Amino acid sequence: MGFLMALSSRLPYRVWGDLRGFVASLGGGVLLQAATVGQMGVLLSRIAARSTPARLDRRELVRHMEFMAIESLPIVGVTALFTGAIVIIQAAPVVQRFGAEGLLGWGAGFGVLREIGPLLTALMISGRVGANNTADLGTMVVTEQVDGLRALAIDPIAYLIVPRFFALIATLALMTIFSDVLALVGAALAGEVLVGLTMHGFYNGFTSGLIEFKDVAHGLIKSVAFGFIVALSSCHFGLATTGGAPGVGRSVKASVVASATGIFALDYFLSFVVP
Amino acid sequence: MGSPLETPQPLVLHERPLVKLGRVALDAVSGVRALVSLFLRTLWFTFRGSRPKGATALQAFEIGNRSAPFLALTMAFIGMILVYQSAVQLGRIVPDYSMVGANYAELLVRELGPTIGGLMLATRVGAGMAAETASMVVTEQVDALRLCAADPVDFLVVPRFLASLVMTVVVIVLCSGLAYATGALTALVAFDVRLDVFVNLSLVDFGDVATGLTKSLAYGAAIPICSCHCGLAAEGGSAGVGRATTAAVVLSSLAIIVINFFISASAFLVGL
Amino acid sequence: MMIAPLSKHPGEGDVIVRFDRIRKSFGDKTILDGVSFDVRKGEVFFVIGGSGVGKSVTIKHLVGLLRPDAGDVWFDGVEVSRLTEEEFFPVRKRVAMVFQYATLFDSMNCLENIALPLEKHRGLSRGAALVEAQRLLERVHLGRYGERFPGELGDGMKKRVAIARALTLNPEVILFDEPTTSLDPVSARRVDTLIRELSDTLGVTAIVVSHDLTSIFGIADRIVMLYRGGVRAVGDRAHFRETKDEVVRQFVGGFADGPMEFG
Repeated sequence: MGFLMALSSRLPYRVWGDLRGFVASLGGGVLLQAATVGQMGVLLSRIAARSTPARLDRRELVRHMEFMAIESLPIVGVTALFTGAIVIIQAAPVVQRFGAEGLLGWGAGFGVLREIGPLLTALMISGRVGANNTADLGTMVVTEQVDGLRALAIDPIAYLIVPRFFALIATLALMTIFSDVLALVGAALAGEVLVGLTMHGFYNGFTSGLIEFKDVAHGLIKSVAFGFIVALSSCHFGLATTGGAPGVGRSVKASVVASATGIFALDYFLSFVVP
Repeated sequence: MGSPLETPQPLVLHERPLVKLGRVALDAVSGVRALVSLFLRTLWFTFRGSRPKGATALQAFEIGNRSAPFLALTMAFIGMILVYQSAVQLGRIVPDYSMVGANYAELLVRELGPTIGGLMLATRVGAGMAAETASMVVTEQVDALRLCAADPVDFLVVPRFLASLVMTVVVIVLCSGLAYATGALTALVAFDVRLDVFVNLSLVDFGDVATGLTKSLAYGAAIPICSCHCGLAAEGGSAGVGRATTAAVVLSSLAIIVINFFISASAFLVGL
Repeated sequence: MMIAPLSKHPGEGDVIVRFDRIRKSFGDKTILDGVSFDVRKGEVFFVIGGSGVGKSVTIKHLVGLLRPDAGDVWFDGVEVSRLTEEEFFPVRKRVAMVFQYATLFDSMNCLENIALPLEKHRGLSRGAALVEAQRLLERVHLGRYGERFPGELGDGMKKRVAIARALTLNPEVILFDEPTTSLDPVSARRVDTLIRELSDTLGVTAIVVSHDLTSIFGIADRIVMLYRGGVRAVGDRAHFRETKDEVVRQFVGGFADGPMEFG
C-alpha cells in the first residue's frame, strides 16, 4: 500500500500549490502549447513536401480510407440519428411558441447542415478514427517500428503519415454527408413520433426554399477543415509518443483534446468567414 | 509452402453484413451488461469500500481544475458560434433579434451546456481515466492491487466516479456561464443586441434547470463507468492501452448522446 | 574520461565502420563519453557490456537513428553522422538493422513484412516481391510461416523473420541489437548460427550487441567491451579469455563479485 500513501501525501501540494508555482506552470503550459503548435507546423511542411501525386501511395490511401470508414460508420450513424431527434425535441417548444410548425423542417435542416452535422461528426471521428490513428502510430513508435522503417530507408512520413492524413480528411468529409442525411432522417422520425409533425410536413419545411446550397457547402467546407485539424493533431501526437504503454495512453488523450480544441476554434472562425 | 496452421485474420473487413450485424448486436448486449455490472459494483463499494483518504479529492482536482481550461475554451467558442448561427438563421425570416438571448439561455441550460460540456469531458476525462487504468492493467499494477486484497473497482473506479459526479456538474455550470457571456458578446458585436436585451431569463423555468442538472449528473456518472470499463478491460501492451483509450472516448461520447436523447425525450413527453 | 584519437592500425584498408570519439547524452545523463573503435570488413564483431552502458545507443548512430553530440561516425570512408535524414537513405540501404524486439510491422504478415523494402527500393511488383520474400524466408529456415502474422510467432522466429527482412537489400553491414536476449537457448544458438553463416557465405559484416556469453565466445571474431561511457577492451576471443583486466574478467566470467560498477 506504500504507493497509495505516497500518492495521498502529495495531495495538499498538488491541490493548493502556491501562487508562484501556479503562475510558473501557466507560463510553462503556454510555452509547451506554443512548442506543440510549432512542431505541428514542421510536420505539416514535411507532409506537404511529400504530397505530390507521384509520391502518394494509392494502395495505402484506399486501404486506410476503407478501414476508417468501416470503423466509424456505426458510431457516426447512431450519433447522427439521435442528434437529429434531439434537435427536433429542443426546437419544438420554440416553434410551438411561435405557432410555426411548418418551419420545423427548415429549422432542423439549417442547424444540422450548417453546424451540428459537421461538428458532431468531427468530434466522433476524432474520438474514433483520430484516437485510433494516434494509438496506432504511438504503438509503432514505442515498439520501434517507426525506427524499423527508417532503418529500412523507408521514409515514415511518406509511407505512414501521408496516406493516413489524406484518408482521414476524405473520410471525415464523406462521413459528414452520411451523417447529415441520417440526422435529417432522425429529425423527421422524431418529428413524427414525438412532436406530431408528419414526414410530409417536415419535408415541406425542409424544401421551402429557405435552405440553400450554400448551407450544405458551408457545412462541408468546415468538415474538410476539421478533417485537416484532426489528421494533423492525431499524426503529431502519435509520432511524438514517448514512454512505453502509458505514453500511448497519454498521447491519445492529448490528441483528442487538441483535436476538439482545434475543431471548436476553427468552427468559430469559419462560421464567420464562410458565407 | 502452405502453412499447416490456420491463419486468423487480425482485421475482418469483408464479413457478411448479417453476420457482422449479429456480432455487433451480441457485443452490444454483453457490453451493456458489463457496464451495468461495473456501475452496480461501483455503487456497492461507494458505501462499503475502504479506499485511501484523499483519492477522491485527487481525482476531483484532475477532473475539475485540470479539465477546466480546455472546457472553458471550447465552451467559450461554442457560445459564440451558436449565437451567431441562430441569429443568422433567424435573420432569414424576421430580422428581430430581441428574443435571441432568451431562447439561447433556455437552450443553453437544458441542452447545450450539459451536452457539449459532457462531450468535451468525455473526451478529456474519459481518455485520461482509460489511459491511466489501462496502463496500470498492462503493467500489472492492477494485479498487484488484487494481491494486496484491494478491489480495483473500490480503489480505482469509486474515487473517479465520486469525483466525476460532483465535478462534472460544477464544471458544466461554470462553463455554461462562460458560454452565455461569450454568446452575449457575440450578439452585441455582430448583431447590435444590447446586453440588457440579450440577458433575458424569462424563458428559463424550473423544468429547464431540472433537465440540465439531471443530464449533467447522468453524464458525470456515465463517463467514469464507461472509461474505467474500457481501461480495466485492456490487454496487450502499448497497443492495448491505445485501443482502450480510443474505446473509452467513443463509448463515453456515445453514452452521452444516447442518455441525452432519453432524458430530453422524457422531459419533452412529461412537459418539463 | 580519457578521449584518445584512434591510432592507425595495419589493416586500415579493411576498416568499414569507424566510431571516433562519440559522445552522447540524454538530458543530463551522459551515456557515451568518447567511444572509439573500428570494425573490419566481413567480420562478426561483438559490442558487449553491462545493461544500460550504451551498446545499442552506439550502433544506432551508424544508421542515423541517433546523432552524436560530438565525434564522428565513418562508414566506408564517409563521415555519416551529420548527413540529413534524406541523405542517410543510401547508407541505410547498405547497413541493415535487426532490432532487439524484431519490430516487425504488426499489420502485415511475414511475407509482406519482407516484401515491403523490396517493393519500395528494388522497384519489384508486389508479386515478384512476395516471391523474393519467400526465398529469403526459406534462407532463415522459416519457409512455412510466410502467411503468419508477427503476433502469432515466437520471439525466436520473429528475430529470424527480422533477419530475413534485413537481408532484402543485400546489405554490406547488418547491426544486430541483442539478437539472442529473451530467447530460449536453442533458438538463441540458431540465431547465432545464422549470423555466422551470413558472414561466412555472403561476406556480410555483422555488428552484434550482446551480453550473451555463449554467443560471444561462440561466434565472435572480435569484441569491444564498453564500460562507464568508454571502451574498456578490444580484441579477439582469446584476448578476452586471457585478459588481466579485472573488470573484463568479471564480465566475461559472469561473477557477481568484483570491481564492476553498475549504473
